[in-house]
Amino acid sequence: MATQSAAPPNPTDDKPQNPASEIVQPSVEDQNDTRTGASGGFSSTSVFVNSEPMREEQVQNAVKFLSHPKVKGSPVMYRRSFLERKGLTKEEIDEAFRRVPDPPQNVSNAQPAGTNQDGQVKPLSSVQPQVATQILQPSAAAPAGVISTLTRSRFHWSHALLAVGFLALSGAGTAVLFKKSVVPRLKSWIRKVVFEEEDGSAKKTDSKPSLQQEAAAAAKTAAAAAADVARASQEMLLSKREEEKYFKELMNLIGMQVQEMKSMSNAIQKLEGNTHGRTPLTEQDHRVSAKSLRQPNANGNVDFDSYSARSSPPPATVEPSAAPHPKSYMEIMAMVQRGEKPPNIREINDLPPNPNQPLPNPHSAPRAKPWEVGQTQTSYSQVLQSHESTYGLNSNLQDNGFVNQLSGDSSVPWWQKKNVRITEIENEDELKRGSSGVLTNERPVQRSWVPPQPPPVAMPEAAAAIRQPKKTLSEKQVADDQLVADPSDAIDELQRITKISESGGVVDANGGSSGLSKRFSESGVDTNGMSSGLYTSEIQEEQEAY
Amino acid sequence: MPVFKTPFNGYAVKFSPFYEHRLAVATAQNFGILGNGRVHVLDLSPAGPISEFAAFDTADAVYDLSWSESHDSLLVAAVADGSVKLYDLSLPPPSNPVRSLHEHTREAHSADYNPVRRDSFITGSWDDTIKLWTIDRPTSVRTFKEHAYCVYSATWNPRHADVFASASGDCTVRIWDVREPGSTMILPAHEFEILSCDWNKYDDCVIATASVDKSIKVWDVRSFRVPLAVLNGHSYAVRKVKFSPHRGSFIASCSYDMTVCLWDYMVEDALIGRYDHHTEFTVGVDMSVLVEGLLASAGWDELVYVWQHGTDPRAP
Repeated sequence: MATQSAAPPNPTDDKPQNPASEIVQPSVEDQNDTRTGASGGFSSTSVFVNSEPMREEQVQNAVKFLSHPKVKGSPVMYRRSFLERKGLTKEEIDEAFRRVPDPPQNVSNAQPAGTNQDGQVKPLSSVQPQVATQILQPSAAAPAGVISTLTRSRFHWSHALLAVGFLALSGAGTAVLFKKSVVPRLKSWIRKVVFEEEDGSAKKTDSKPSLQQEAAAAAKTAAAAAADVARASQEMLLSKREEEKYFKELMNLIGMQVQEMKSMSNAIQKLEGNTHGRTPLTEQDHRVSAKSLRQPNANGNVDFDSYSARSSPPPATVEPSAAPHPKSYMEIMAMVQRGEKPPNIREINDLPPNPNQPLPNPHSAPRAKPWEVGQTQTSYSQVLQSHESTYGLNSNLQDNGFVNQLSGDSSVPWWQKKNVRITEIENEDELKRGSSGVLTNERPVQRSWVPPQPPPVAMPEAAAAIRQPKKTLSEKQVADDQLVADPSDAIDELQRITKISESGGVVDANGGSSGLSKRFSESGVDTNGMSSGLYTSEIQEEQEAY
Repeated sequence: MPVFKTPFNGYAVKFSPFYEHRLAVATAQNFGILGNGRVHVLDLSPAGPISEFAAFDTADAVYDLSWSESHDSLLVAAVADGSVKLYDLSLPPPSNPVRSLHEHTREAHSADYNPVRRDSFITGSWDDTIKLWTIDRPTSVRTFKEHAYCVYSATWNPRHADVFASASGDCTVRIWDVREPGSTMILPAHEFEILSCDWNKYDDCVIATASVDKSIKVWDVRSFRVPLAVLNGHSYAVRKVKFSPHRGSFIASCSYDMTVCLWDYMVEDALIGRYDHHTEFTVGVDMSVLVEGLLASAGWDELVYVWQHGTDPRAP
């Protein structure tokens, strides 16, 4: 089943160094027996598998990274993503995770993380009843200890309970302490004071005169000191007032200078205004404001930074210099962020009216892709079928007035001439196709690089030339790029040139050249030289490519 | 070149793999911040102007869409309310959508249809997952959950039917195989968020990634430590990157610097085309599989341009 088709041979990478992929593939291949091997079989030599050996250095770096305490706190997905961005292969990442001693951290395995958290819930719940019963400091220490062990803050409710309990206990503790220790001290102190007063009143009569003298002396010195202080404060006040006066004078002077400057600038502007012949003040103000605005933009990139706002997920245009978004985009973004809905949105029901609507039968067979060159035979027949079916379709479809040319309809004027010639041409075309069928098979397909051809000359009729009637275009595609591109298909010589460039096809030397020369002589177009130049380049190009 | 004005800001544009003249545009009101959305199906006409074939309104912004590879009239849309809607163009608009799949828990940001098997599609979402669906089943077939941040883009490999790549805001690109339980490769492609990725149609091991760091890097998954090429030239984040279906080394990209650029990553001077026709962020770009060189772009300036490489998109 696994036919090795045109997959390019790669001697180095064909060695299956992926034991995992090897194991998988035989079973996969068995299951895929029913599938056609058109794709060229995914065997153990598939190119789309990383066949590098595991790099020990990278694995060790990854292990160091994963062992870092901060990394261990991050979600597993981010760790994997980081390592992938650093260029590690899946095998290397898996190996690194295996080596790190923590519980397994596969992306799909959420359970170990869950059990970790479960384990932490249990000690919490056991602590809580204890908190209620214990008193004072031991209980205060326990919730604090539990709180510190909590690394994941998921359990806010238990956190809150613990906090409340702690506060209550500490309050109760302080109250008890107060009662026990502080109050007795107060009482004793009060008693002491009372006793002292009683004693003191007895002792006072003895030592009255000395006391009085001392008191008098003290009072005198105190009065003197107070007087000094008063003087000093008065002096300070005076100096402050003086300073204030000076300050005010300065301010006045500065204000006057500012006014003078303003008046001078006004005068200058008036002068400027007069020279430009504009008088209204509004213009001048506008220009002034414009000048002042330009200054911050001198750096050039300041504006762009302000445009870097974006909604939640779309492509980040932030890091390497954000592209300036259109103004209305910013307005809508601001609106949405404020919570407003833009006004032009309609309520649309875009659900299928009949969810069980049967799907149509394909009208035409799929057309071969230009790169599926190895199947020219099959594509040729396929395209013939589509050729015929598109004929049928043409008569059915009523879009854009595509006229069935075989019928020779004369309703659309500018198709007419072409119709006549096309019918003539078609006979020749089929004859030639018969003979050229052999040619295609002989031509080996070279998929090597082709130097880009010079672009065709832009001509006004080229626009029309692209949109050829389906007939001729499909005939071109029947040629499938390698067959004879019939020059006689194109009526207009300009159309023909673009045709050649489109299909890149071979031009039949015999019929083509004579046909060309005839048309050129007929119309006498100035582009003679150009078109012939293109013609020759086409010949060269097809020789190289095909 | 024709222009189409959409009432809402453009978000994605995709050419139909069945009809050369048909393309679909995903749009969102109010820049996709908050508002309705609309899917437009447009037809190019030979006379010039783009006309609207059908339009479908959605309650929330449409961030991306993808044409079915099996049914020419089916369209998958990734909607900002997390739903994935299926539209059938052969039915009139009142009968649409035909399916609305609600499984993502956040905005669905990308949708891509399998071009090889043609029977399934994947959607990437801001809920960090990618889901695999088939159009006949009402529920997802598989969910791939490994990214650590929003998945901005998920694209199928053009040759290997079961391989796809996803670009995420966790700065990695992961390569998956639907037959494997998890991702098979992890590319730490940029230092900043990766907004888009796409496979080379002609070399199934080459992938391009576009990032907020204004660069596009091209990688070979067989030796993914060093990029094959780093394409600098955009002045702001690159929003979308697309490999040409016709030339193996051509890449089209669109960026918040309002330009669409065309690159050839195998050349020393990789930038081969630059189109600055938009006047706001260009958010969607596509190259037609059926018409070589045909480009389309959509931007927040509510305009959709379709032009041929080498011509001026704004030329009348």
